[in-house]
Amino acid sequence: MAGRDPLLPNAAIVARREYRDRTRGKLFLVSTLLLMGLALGVALAPIAIRYFDRETVTRIVVLSSDDALAARAISVADGLLNIPPTGADPATFEKTFLLERGSDATVSEAGLLAGDIGGVMRVERLESGQVSVEYRTNGPEDGVRSQLVGFAAIAIGILDWTATLPPGAQLDPFVTPRFDPVSINVPTPDGRPIDQQELASRSFLGIVFVVLIFITVVIYGMWVATGVAAEKSSRVMELMISAASPRQLLTGKVVGIGLAGLTQYLAIAVPALAVLTVQDRIAEAILGPTWAAGAPLVGLTPDLLLTYGVFFLLGFTLFALIYASMGAFVSRPDDLQTLSLPLSIVAMVGYLSAIVALGGGGRGFTTILSFVPPFSPFVMLARVMVGRVEPWELALSIGLLLVAIAVTAVVASRIYAAGVLLYGQRPGLRAFISAARQA
Amino acid sequence: MTLEIDHVTKRFASTLALDDLAFEVPRGRIFGFLGANGAGKTTTMRICLGILHADAGEIRWDGRPTGELPRRTWGYLPEERGLYGRMLVLEQLVYFATLYGQTPARARADALHWLARFRIPEYATRRAEELSKGNQQKVQFIAAILHGPDVLLMDEPFTGLDPVNLALLREAFVELRDEGRTIVFSTHQMEAAEALCENLAIVDHGRVVAAGTLADLKRSTRAHTVRLGVEGETMPSWLGALPGVVAIRPGSGFAELELTPATQPSSILAAAVSRGASVTHFEVAEPSLEAIFIELVGRSAADDTTLAADAADADADAGADAPSAARDADRDSDRDAPRIIEGAA
Repeated sequence: MAGRDPLLPNAAIVARREYRDRTRGKLFLVSTLLLMGLALGVALAPIAIRYFDRETVTRIVVLSSDDALAARAISVADGLLNIPPTGADPATFEKTFLLERGSDATVSEAGLLAGDIGGVMRVERLESGQVSVEYRTNGPEDGVRSQLVGFAAIAIGILDWTATLPPGAQLDPFVTPRFDPVSINVPTPDGRPIDQQELASRSFLGIVFVVLIFITVVIYGMWVATGVAAEKSSRVMELMISAASPRQLLTGKVVGIGLAGLTQYLAIAVPALAVLTVQDRIAEAILGPTWAAGAPLVGLTPDLLLTYGVFFLLGFTLFALIYASMGAFVSRPDDLQTLSLPLSIVAMVGYLSAIVALGGGGRGFTTILSFVPPFSPFVMLARVMVGRVEPWELALSIGLLLVAIAVTAVVASRIYAAGVLLYGQRPGLRAFISAARQA
Repeated sequence: MTLEIDHVTKRFASTLALDDLAFEVPRGRIFGFLGANGAGKTTTMRICLGILHADAGEIRWDGRPTGELPRRTWGYLPEERGLYGRMLVLEQLVYFATLYGQTPARARADALHWLARFRIPEYATRRAEELSKGNQQKVQFIAAILHGPDVLLMDEPFTGLDPVNLALLREAFVELRDEGRTIVFSTHQMEAAEALCENLAIVDHGRVVAAGTLADLKRSTRAHTVRLGVEGETMPSWLGALPGVVAIRPGSGFAELELTPATQPSSILAAAVSRGASVTHFEVAEPSLEAIFIELVGRSAADDTTLAADAADADADAGADAPSAARDADRDSDRDAPRIIEGAA
């Protein structure tokens, strides 16, 4: 009978019930408001961090037995560490690093250990005449600050060397070398090299999008599974399965719960995105122009949003169908937690691979996974966000995802229909396959 | 126009749930579909609905196989009751009816009519989980009939209802029958079946062991039933020692004795008198449906107190239950002494 039943209107009737059932509860309202607040908090977090950064001044102590070297080191390091951000007025810029001369190595070391001092530069001249700069820090050896101090060491050396030249020595003026970093793996749809801020923005948005898909798949997918399991355990499914076909019920459930999830998701994401869009202006208003660091959504284009929307929709549909089958498989909602664990792990693999892809790592591995459902919604999205993806690659990935959804839908409706026949039994895999064939 | 169960066979793994099952239900009749747990009743209903498929044979309504019929042909009350607990009753009824193609406005009006009819109009705007089991059952019954189906399949519709609600449901059955609907219901409450059924079929292990009108069935049985009242006690101890007695049930001021076909009722009266008993009541009664059922199915009523009591694990999972029903039957056939059945006859 099921094959003859058209999808509509019953799928729409079921979807409407599922949507209303999900969205009318107080729990839904409370959790949506909480998550909305949380998302707004995350969106405003960079401003808060910059606010506290502004208040913080890091002390760097310079130790040297040579007064001239010490003065030179303080001057150079001060210049390098306290470069005002682009657009900031040097006259009003408040330095974040305080360079000071220290006199006692033991006191400085204790201050470093206690965290009162951010770093200690020991600048000495060796017997060979070479300048030695030792930077002692609690941070990593290859941290950004250590690298800046490394540049400072070179500059101190150059200044020291030029100071030893005889008076009146004829030298060409020092010209700063050109330095152009070129990344060959950035999205260049029109052949235009992408700027660093845009790339950073895309990377940030990539993480946000991948996290959102992961959360959507796992949380809203579980909504579908628990919905089916609850229908089964409350025995209302037997009534439903005689009123509508498994295909209608399954479609209605996935669409209805998917739309409820989307509602919550938009309620959370829209205010957060709005804040992100104007984050720079908020920062400027609160902290002044010096601390505005560029709009974080500068890398967001309609194409990227569309790509995200497509993978969000397809990814959720695929996972929701599998979750629905799981709901039909169990007799009690309690059993669902155990059964859904492998699927959560699959989603986690997709999520982690996407994070790797966003970091530019695991090229071969992530390229393959970007075509393989159910990982592709995560990984291909990540590749699109930060890497160069050919149109055929995108089309192939979406095509394979659609095929996987079609196959899963057929299998899921059979499992769903079979689930109703296995009340009160602990179905072994064989019993279940047999019931699915009957359905 | 009939519902034809045409030699249907259905197997679950090694269990034969339906074994060449065949009977017909005339249109506009109330049809009792009786059988012990695991006899195949629920499986048959599920095949009618298209939830299960027969391995062999076919079920037809009005000459059309069930696979060609629209879903709204059927109204189904499953044995396992279930509603959406958090959903309002009226909303829920409209939801089910619209799935069957009813317009929301019509479904709403009809639902309110039936809720009033079942004396629960105030529950229309309550959540289903707030209702008692009996009231939930009435709501589920309404859900099964709201779209005006031709055939109603009711699996144990009377279980768990108090006498008042039982009477309301029986009235509804008759009213629906008078509208021309065909009602097929399974029950373990033989009294209800006897009062309502015009036709019935008794199934055992997936096969029809008797079918026809109630009068036909009563005529076909050769067993006698005797009601014997003696002064001083309802159930004298010597009743169990009488030859030819198959079962004994206590009645109101008398004991009901079920006799083997070869035993003459007069021999019971003679035996009572010979024991010096003062006989206050002697009646040769028509065999009750329960007696016929026990004779045909060989099921131990003593295990169940009455057949009505055991609705909990009927044949929802026909495959699993069928062997246990067979075990019960085997156990019963070993008995020599008459069964003493508790409860009123």
